[in-house]
Amino acid sequence: MKTDMPLSKPVRLLISQTEDLLDTEISLIRNPEADPNGTLVDIYTYNVERNIILLPSHYIGLLKDFLIARHCVHLLIKGSAAKKSHYLVCSFTGDSMYRGIHQIYIDALKDEAKKEKKLPVIKLIRMLGILYSNVNDEINELPWNPITNASVYHRMPPLRKTQLYYLMKEGKMDMDAMVEYESVIPRRYFVLSKSMFYARDQYLAKTLPADELMPVVNIPQMKKFNHLEVKEMLTTRWTHTSWYQSRIFGDTMLEIMEKYLQNIDWNAEPGLDYFHEIYKTGVKMTDHFLSYMSMKGWFAWESSKHLLEAREKKAAYEYGALKKIFGDLIEKSALDDGTET
Amino acid sequence: MTSKESEVLLKKGYAYAIRTKWREALALYDKALSSDPTNPEAWYLRASVFIEIGRNTEALEDCERAITLNQNFAGAWSKKGHALYNLERYEEAVSACARALALNGNDAAAWYIKGVCLDELGRSREAQEAYGKSLELEIILDIEKEKKRQG
Repeated sequence: MKTDMPLSKPVRLLISQTEDLLDTEISLIRNPEADPNGTLVDIYTYNVERNIILLPSHYIGLLKDFLIARHCVHLLIKGSAAKKSHYLVCSFTGDSMYRGIHQIYIDALKDEAKKEKKLPVIKLIRMLGILYSNVNDEINELPWNPITNASVYHRMPPLRKTQLYYLMKEGKMDMDAMVEYESVIPRRYFVLSKSMFYARDQYLAKTLPADELMPVVNIPQMKKFNHLEVKEMLTTRWTHTSWYQSRIFGDTMLEIMEKYLQNIDWNAEPGLDYFHEIYKTGVKMTDHFLSYMSMKGWFAWESSKHLLEAREKKAAYEYGALKKIFGDLIEKSALDDGTET
Repeated sequence: MTSKESEVLLKKGYAYAIRTKWREALALYDKALSSDPTNPEAWYLRASVFIEIGRNTEALEDCERAITLNQNFAGAWSKKGHALYNLERYEEAVSACARALALNGNDAAAWYIKGVCLDELGRSREAQEAYGKSLELEIILDIEKEKKRQG
């Protein structure tokens, strides 16, 4: 482990355990520009020589420890997959991107037909590729979030209060994300994206018993949550108009989540085989989500190298897909410089 | 060089330090200290950089210089606790943090380091109390930061 920052005992032990199991090294780096969720830059996903966990500079205590713990569990899942079989991620090809973008386009047309104020064509075309990539990012991240959270909850009781705060904070950030694009994105995708977050929130609210997680009431900003159960609070959040449809789909996604995660023994001996089983469960759950969202042919399970290369070729794939849909109406320059086609 | 010029060097050094440009920060702090070694803030700032780059013995010496110049400098006591923790001198670290917290009870880092050291010393119940206090303060700080970020 490479760091000079103080760490609580359970987190230090988890880092050592992760390093021993994976025979690797983890560096912890604080950076003022770091993402509020921290970032795991690992050897199984990126073309790097060492694992780095980047943390926001102002996280100095247990908030930092919680993020480290979550990233360590994620690293264990990735690493065990790589060591025991193959670590695969949801990647894409030109063909799969065409299938995704084509479907988004059809759904967007349906939405546009009902709109009084139509979206400018160039905006609509640009949205297709952006939304496709966004779904790719989400499907590669979100299913692992309830898994790493549940694991940290069961294995690291001293971090539970911190986890509650973080769940409230992260849940709010995820709810608010994309809201400003609500009128641009086809309703179906807005709702599906939010439904995944809704399912995550509800799963964690059920998994993390409220009695142990009553908020830290000495904090003035959190007083309003006093005597309010976590589940009640998270459910209430999702009843507002922007998100109410998410609950309908989200309840089904929660069922999917529970179907797969209920079989995990969170307190079992944490060896490579154990984390490899969790990885396989996460893959099955992701597949079920994709099938439920009718996105089965959108992505393919490939190596992380494949995904990195696909990201590099994204512009070409996107251009090819748009050309197939719109024919000669699409000019490369129109996508590059923002002029209308 | 006047103490005013030394202040300017410290400000410049700090601007580098928050961007984690430790080498540049250290050079400016060195310059400021050679012109005005009576400023406890300068010793404290240099100690902060020393800790970041793992030069804990030098960090501890700088903290002690800062404290000699101002016995009630809460930040220097807190930083001293941090340096002592890194040097695995847990008992002394707990005492330094306790002194820092007597001067400023809202120092989240001091509560956290106190908690970590108490944990190392097997004083688990006291450690949990310190962690709890540190978490409360850290959350308040985070909420304020988020508000600022959102404008």
